Amino acid sequence: MKDIDRKGLTISRRAVTAAAFAMPFVPAKGRAASAEPVKIGWLPSLTGALATAAIGFDHGVRFGVEEANKAGGIDGRPIELVSRDTGSDPTNAVNLAQQLVFTGKVNFVAGPVNSGESLATVPIIARAHIPNLVTGAVEELIDPVKYPLAFRVVNTTTQWISVANDYGIKQLGKHKIAIVGDTTGYGTSSAKRAVEMVKAMGAEVVYTVLIDPNKTDLTDEISKARDAGSEAVMVWTAASGLAARLLNTRGDLGWNVPIIGHPVLGAPSIQQLLNKPSYWDNTITIGYQSMSFGPDGKLPEHTQKLIDAIRPQLGSGPIQFNFWWIALGYDVVQVISHAVRTAKSTDPADIRKVLNNTKDFPGVFAQYTWTETNHNGVPDSSMAANLANSFKDGCYKLAPR
Amino acid sequence: MLSVILSGIALGAIYSSVAMVYNLTYATSRVLSITAGFTFMIGGVLGAYFIDIAKLQPIVGFLATLVAGALLGLAIEFVAVRRVLERSDQHLWLLSTLAFSTIIQQVVALTWGTEPRRFPRLFKQDFGGLLDQKYWLPIGAVLLVAAMLELFLRRTIIGKLFVAVSDDTQAAVARGIPVNAVRAASYALAGTVGSLTGFAAGQLTFAYFALGFMLTLNGFIALAIGGLGSTAGALTGGLLLGLLTAFATHFFGGAFQNSISTGLLIILLLARPQGLFGVRAARMV
Repeated sequence: MKDIDRKGLTISRRAVTAAAFAMPFVPAKGRAASAEPVKIGWLPSLTGALATAAIGFDHGVRFGVEEANKAGGIDGRPIELVSRDTGSDPTNAVNLAQQLVFTGKVNFVAGPVNSGESLATVPIIARAHIPNLVTGAVEELIDPVKYPLAFRVVNTTTQWISVANDYGIKQLGKHKIAIVGDTTGYGTSSAKRAVEMVKAMGAEVVYTVLIDPNKTDLTDEISKARDAGSEAVMVWTAASGLAARLLNTRGDLGWNVPIIGHPVLGAPSIQQLLNKPSYWDNTITIGYQSMSFGPDGKLPEHTQKLIDAIRPQLGSGPIQFNFWWIALGYDVVQVISHAVRTAKSTDPADIRKVLNNTKDFPGVFAQYTWTETNHNGVPDSSMAANLANSFKDGCYKLAPR
Repeated sequence: MLSVILSGIALGAIYSSVAMVYNLTYATSRVLSITAGFTFMIGGVLGAYFIDIAKLQPIVGFLATLVAGALLGLAIEFVAVRRVLERSDQHLWLLSTLAFSTIIQQVVALTWGTEPRRFPRLFKQDFGGLLDQKYWLPIGAVLLVAAMLELFLRRTIIGKLFVAVSDDTQAAVARGIPVNAVRAASYALAGTVGSLTGFAAGQLTFAYFALGFMLTLNGFIALAIGGLGSTAGALTGGLLLGLLTAFATHFFGGAFQNSISTGLLIILLLARPQGLFGVRAARMV
């Protein structure tokens, strides 16, 4: 963990030095009065159970910082990234968040990457009056009154569920739904919300179950879902092992029901856990328009450009994890740059004012809009239903409409 | 319902194997090593590595996993147990084996990754159904291990040395038994048993770094149910816990699974502290 932290600091120092050398070449108009660095506190879970996604986010954040510093920083102010590995542990995340905001004197905090840790840190960062870019999806993380400096740069859980319901109920015409969640806080709250939303759409929830993410055999649960007459299974878990076991059990039972749900259903790590490749068919993963191949087989221009730019740093071959993690990490830095540049300051009140009035800011992951009363920046139009088995270069094909 | 029972028995077999690992380490050192579940986890991860990545033949991969498990057991004894027992008669082994377990988990997370990975199919067979090898391999492996352990402890000289050291370490020393070597051998055997059953259950559990603590806890519950020091107790305790967990999940859902198993532990410890097959220790007064 220390190595990673040291590595983080080394990179940031190097980047700061590079930015300082680049400064004379930045037009005078673009230079801020002060070359004091913009300090971003970054809380990824680079180790522990939730490391996979965070490592992807981390690539994006570091690339964004490196690119910005090479271009002279933010109006001449270099970005200093202060990265701390939370180890996927909310207690660590709390300690590190306190360290960043009280002794680290950072100007922004980005993360933690997952909702469980963010639930613990958002109130602390809010009390310290530091702008916080939130990358967790659960609804409770955002409240413009309680946490006026917290701005979400990812979708909400409700948006994921909404797209899944829309595809399963409206597009596929399935009205008897089984809902599966895991026993974590995320899985439990998402499954509960999904039940409410399915019922609100006039469909029937015929079976619902919460499963321990490490449960080894799901024959019982999937058999019950089948016997209840389910026409589609909605899955709300971020655990790839559980998601793979659901797909394997459906396949082993020869039950060809559509499975729709959390992006983990399309994660490449699922593929190698499947008993047979065909078990990934008829599976819809919720994703993003920006990460979807169009009918012409091409990705949106911004996405392709970022893939091409970052690919050499990822080993030059095909990208083997969800590219939206990288894009979102990259956008975190773009949003901070936009806020500082527009506010011409890192004063929290000025930053809040700028972000509250940001409309359609063009990121790679999404076009962000925040208002005084809505700090959820990703619009519904950014969401998409994807074919899970179409994973290629970190992106997916759109599910047929 | 048959699938619930079979799933419960397979899960119970896994818990039994961890309880047997506890028994082996406790026999010669009076240490309930937290590493018990981690030797199982290592068996799954190394088995997948040797066969899927190093491309060894399954039988060679299996043997390599056993050797690695034995070496891990020796390392646990040497680093986390021997020095602690030499320097203190307090229960500091709890901390040292916990620390060693954390190191094992972190090393596996950093080198193997934090996502579960597939364990290769060991025999040609179509997937699914009650005869699937993913259920029967761990059940068969645990039954075999239990029988072999009983034979080993009752019929071999080294096994009798284990029992002698377990019964009275001071007397064993006085008789010239190399206690350190016997203890190291018991940890090597514990590592082998854990990695063997971890290998056999790999298709059920996947090769996953985070299994260790969960198995350490449930293996301990199985041990408490069955009674410390008894192979039959470990088997029965694991089986009961596995079946109870499967039925609890079937009737009440996964949300109550852990509450029910830990609740059972508390009830048993209150009602029969020595476990079903354990013997209440008499104290000389």
